[in-house]
Amino acid sequence: MALADSLFSCRVLVVGAGGIGCELLKNLVLTGFKNIEVIDLDTIDVSNLNRQFLFQKKHVGKSKAQVAKESVLRFCPSANITAYHDSIMNPDYNMEFFRNFQLVMNALDNRAARNHVNRMCLAADIPLIESGTAGYLGQVTVIKKGQTECYECQPKPTQKTFPGCTIRNTPSEPIHCIVWAKYLFNQLFGEEDADREVSPDTADPEAAWNPADAAARATASDQDGDIKRVSTKEWARSTGYDPVKLFNKLFKDDIMYLLTMDKLWKKRKAPLPLDWTEIQQIESSQEESCGMGLKDQQVLGVQGYTQLFRRSVETLRSQLIEKGEGAELVWDKDDPSAMDFVSAAANLRMNVFSMNMKSRFDVKSMAGNIIPAIATTNAVIAGLIVLEALKILNSDFDQCRTIFLNKQPNPRKKLLVPCALDRPNSNCYVCASKPEVTVKLNVHKTIVQALQDKILKEKFGMVAPDVQIEDGKGTILISSEEGETEANNNKFLSGFGIRNGSRLQADDFLQDYTLLVNVIHSEELEKDVEFEVVGDAPDKAPAPSAPEEGKNIANGNKDSAQPSTSSKAAAEDDDVLIIDSDEEPSSSTMEASPESSNRKRKHHDADDAASKRKRLDQQPSDDDEDIIALD
Amino acid sequence: LALALSRPRGEDNIISEEEAAQYDRQIRLWGLDAQKRLRGSRVLLVGLRGLGAEVAKNLILAGVKGLTLLDHEQVTEESRRAQFLIPVDADGQNQAQASLERAQLLNPMVEVKVDTDAVESKPDDFFFQFDAVCLTRCSKDLMVRVDQLCASRNIKVFCGDVYGYHGYMFSDLGQEHHYVEEKPKVVKGSNEANDGPEAKKGKVDPNETTMVKKTISFCSLKEALEVDWTNEKAKSSLKRTPADYFLLQVLLKFRTDKGRDPQPDSFAEDSQLFLQIRDDVLETMGLSSELLPNTFVSYCFSEMAPVCAVVGGVLGQELVKALSQRDAPHRNFFFFDGLKGSGVVDYFGSK
Repeated sequence: MALADSLFSCRVLVVGAGGIGCELLKNLVLTGFKNIEVIDLDTIDVSNLNRQFLFQKKHVGKSKAQVAKESVLRFCPSANITAYHDSIMNPDYNMEFFRNFQLVMNALDNRAARNHVNRMCLAADIPLIESGTAGYLGQVTVIKKGQTECYECQPKPTQKTFPGCTIRNTPSEPIHCIVWAKYLFNQLFGEEDADREVSPDTADPEAAWNPADAAARATASDQDGDIKRVSTKEWARSTGYDPVKLFNKLFKDDIMYLLTMDKLWKKRKAPLPLDWTEIQQIESSQEESCGMGLKDQQVLGVQGYTQLFRRSVETLRSQLIEKGEGAELVWDKDDPSAMDFVSAAANLRMNVFSMNMKSRFDVKSMAGNIIPAIATTNAVIAGLIVLEALKILNSDFDQCRTIFLNKQPNPRKKLLVPCALDRPNSNCYVCASKPEVTVKLNVHKTIVQALQDKILKEKFGMVAPDVQIEDGKGTILISSEEGETEANNNKFLSGFGIRNGSRLQADDFLQDYTLLVNVIHSEELEKDVEFEVVGDAPDKAPAPSAPEEGKNIANGNKDSAQPSTSSKAAAEDDDVLIIDSDEEPSSSTMEASPESSNRKRKHHDADDAASKRKRLDQQPSDDDEDIIALD
Repeated sequence: LALALSRPRGEDNIISEEEAAQYDRQIRLWGLDAQKRLRGSRVLLVGLRGLGAEVAKNLILAGVKGLTLLDHEQVTEESRRAQFLIPVDADGQNQAQASLERAQLLNPMVEVKVDTDAVESKPDDFFFQFDAVCLTRCSKDLMVRVDQLCASRNIKVFCGDVYGYHGYMFSDLGQEHHYVEEKPKVVKGSNEANDGPEAKKGKVDPNETTMVKKTISFCSLKEALEVDWTNEKAKSSLKRTPADYFLLQVLLKFRTDKGRDPQPDSFAEDSQLFLQIRDDVLETMGLSSELLPNTFVSYCFSEMAPVCAVVGGVLGQELVKALSQRDAPHRNFFFFDGLKGSGVVDYFGSK
C-alpha cells in the first residue's frame, strides 16, 4: 500500500511534547510513522503528570522532548526519533530545517510560537496541522500555503489588558486586584516597571472635576519639588521592608488618598481603609483546616490574609538579602512565598474594595493563567491530528477539515464537528503576496524600541526584525544584528524623518517574511494606547467561521477567558480559534534550558513589554457567520 | 424530591499533598468533590487491545481507586503493535499481565490488578465488586448479560469497540443516574458585598457558580439493540439516524458468527461475509441494504490507533463523569467516523 510506504519513509516534526505532544507521539508511532523529530523547550513538572503520560514522577525537572523520546522508544524501539530541548524560535531552525519534513504538527500552548511556525511552514511550503485544547474543549485544523487560511489570516482577540487607573484607583473585579498585586510584587521585589505603577494615579482623568485640574496634577507628580517622586522599592528599602509599614501604606494611607479623589466615588462604593492595629485586635475566627478540602481552597479572613502578608514579606525580604546587592526576584506562581504574597495582597485589596475574597487556589489560577487540563481531551485531539496527517500524506487534501471538540453535542447531535477549511484571506498581513498594514501612532512619542518590541514583535509576530525606511535612501532603522542599531532605540521615530504617510519595510529573514508598514501620525490616541492597527483592528474584524455552537471555542470560552496577568510570558491568551493553554513559565523552566537560552531569554524579555492596548470587547456575535458544518 | 448523590466513597476523605499536586490541573476543571469520588471508585476493564489500553491510561491518569485489567488472550505481534503498554519482548504472555507494569507506572496511586480469565467464565457476583464495568471486544450476548446484572445494582456499564476507521461507545448508567452540573450563579441586586461594588439586579456573576442536581435514566443494551424499525415513527427518524448504528449491529453479528473481528489477512473472505451479514441483519430489521453501502467494508478492518485514541478518550471521559457524578453524560451511544471526522451522540431504546 502506497500509504504504508509513505508512512515509513516520511519525516515529520512535532512542535511541543506536552499534553497534546505526548499523545501525538504515541499515536504517530502506533500508526506506523517511523521518522519523527520533536522539540520542546520545557522541563517536566509534577502538575504535568495527570496527562503527559510519557513522564513519571522521577522525570520531574528533565527535558520533556528527551524523556518523551525515551518513553516512546520503549514500546517502539524501531522508531527513529530525534529530540530537541530547545525553542522552535531559535534561528537554527531555519527554512532549510523545516524543508526536511513532509509535515509539521503543532502541539503548542502559546501564540507567539504558533505565529512563528505558521510563517516557517508558509515559507517552506510544508503542510501544518494546528491544534489546541483547554479543559473539555479542543480543535484541530490544517494549514497549507495557497490553499487554506494560514494561522494569522483571521485576527485573533488579543490579550485582555486593563487601563492603569482601573488597576491603581478603581478596581471593580478580583482580577484587577490580582494584577495590582503582581505589579506590587515586581515593584517591591522584582524588576520595577514604570508602566506598572501601583500607587494611586493622580492623573486619572475620571478623578478631576475639571480637565485642567487633571493636567495640573499630572505635571505636579512628575516634577521634583513639592511632591518628591520616590520609587516604591526605594521607599520599601528605606523602611527595611517593614511589613507593618508596608501594610499601612498600601491598605490605609494610599486608600485614604484615593478617598480624597471624591469624584471617583460619586457613583462607586468607596474603598474602606484597613488598619494594622485594629486588625490585630479582632479575635481570630478562622476555622482550622480539617483536611476535608484542599488547604489552598480555604478563603481566609482579613486577619488571615494580614498574617499571610506579613509572613510572605518577611520571607521575600530574606530572599532578597540572600541574593545580595541589586538583587531582583522573578515572579513565579510555583514559588510559595511569591504566591502567598500575591494571594495576600490581592485579597486585602479586594477586601478594601468590598469584593468577596478568593482562596489562594483561585488566585493562583488567575495570577498564573492556569488553564485546567485533562488527558482525555488531549487524547481525542491527538487522534484527530493523526487522521488529518494520513489524509495529507495520501494526497487526499480535499478531505482535510477543521474539527471542533465540544463538551456536549450540538443540536445536530454532534460532539465532534468537522468544518470545511477556508481559503486564504487575500488581505492577510502574513500570507498575502505583498503583505501590508497601516499603523496609527504618534511619531513624536513613539521610540524605535517600541516599534520593534511592541509593534513588530508582539503585535506582528516577528522574532528578529530588520527595518528600512522607504525614504529613497533606504535608511536602516532597526537591524536584527545585535548592537548595530542600538543607538537608535531610544530615539523618537520623527527624529528619522518618519511622519504621516511614511512607509517602513520590515523583514524577518528567518521567517522569510516582509511586511510593509504604512505610518499614520496621530496625536489623538486614547490614554494608555500606544498604537492602533488600522482597518484590521480585532474589534472590527469579523468573527471567524465557527460551528453553530460557537460558544465554546470560537467565541472564546468565558470561563477560561482569563486575561493574562503575566509580565514576562509570551502573548498567551485565549485564542478564538485555537486554544492557548500557556501558563506562566516557572523560573526553573528558563534555567534548565540549554545554550540557546540566550535567544529564548531574549524572546521572553521582549515579551515583557506588553503593548498597552485599550481593553477590547471580547464578545463577537454568535450567529453572524455562515457555518459550513459537514455531515 | 430528595436527589441523593452517593456519598463519596473511599476510606478517607482527605486529599494528600501528593494528590493535590499531581491532580491540580484536573481538580481545577472538575472540582475536588469529583476527584474524591473518582478516588473511591473501582473499575473493571475487559479487553486490552488498542481501545482497552487507551481507556486504561485515561482512567489511571484520572486517579480511580482501582482498575482491574481482564483479558484471557495472549500477546501476538499484531496485538503488541496495537498498543503502548506491552513491552516488545512479551509475545506469548497474557495480554493483561503484559500490560500491568507500564499501566501501574502511569500512576502509582492507583491499584492496578490483572485477571487472566475469560470474561464469559466469570460468575455474576464477580462483577458486583466494581462501581463501573467497561467491556471491549466482547460478544453481544456477553455484553447484554453483564449489562442486565449490573445496571440493577447501580454499577455503571460501558461498552466500546473500534473497527478500522469506525468506533462506538455505549453506556447504561441505570434507571436513575444522579449528577451535578455547575452553572453560573444569577446574582440579585443587593447592598451586600459582592464580587464587585456595582452589583446589578439579576446579573449573572461570572465569578460565582452554583451546583444544580439532576437525574437521568438509561435503557438497557438489549433494548438499545432491539429497536423496532418497522413502525412508522422509527421509519421517519431513519434519515437522522447515524448509519454507524447499523454498522455496529453488523459487526456484532460478525463477531458472534466468526468468533473474531474482520482481519486484514482474510480481507477477501471477510469482506464477502461482512456484506452477507449486512444483508441478513438489515433484512431482519425490515430495512434496506442501502443504509450501509458496500464502501463501508474496506474501512472496518483492524483497530486504527488514532481511532482508538478518539474513542478511548470519549469513553474514558464518560467513565470519569459517571463515577464522579458530575456533568451530563452522553446518552446513550457515541459513534465516531474517522473518515469524516464526525462524532455523534444519539439515543437508541425506549424513551
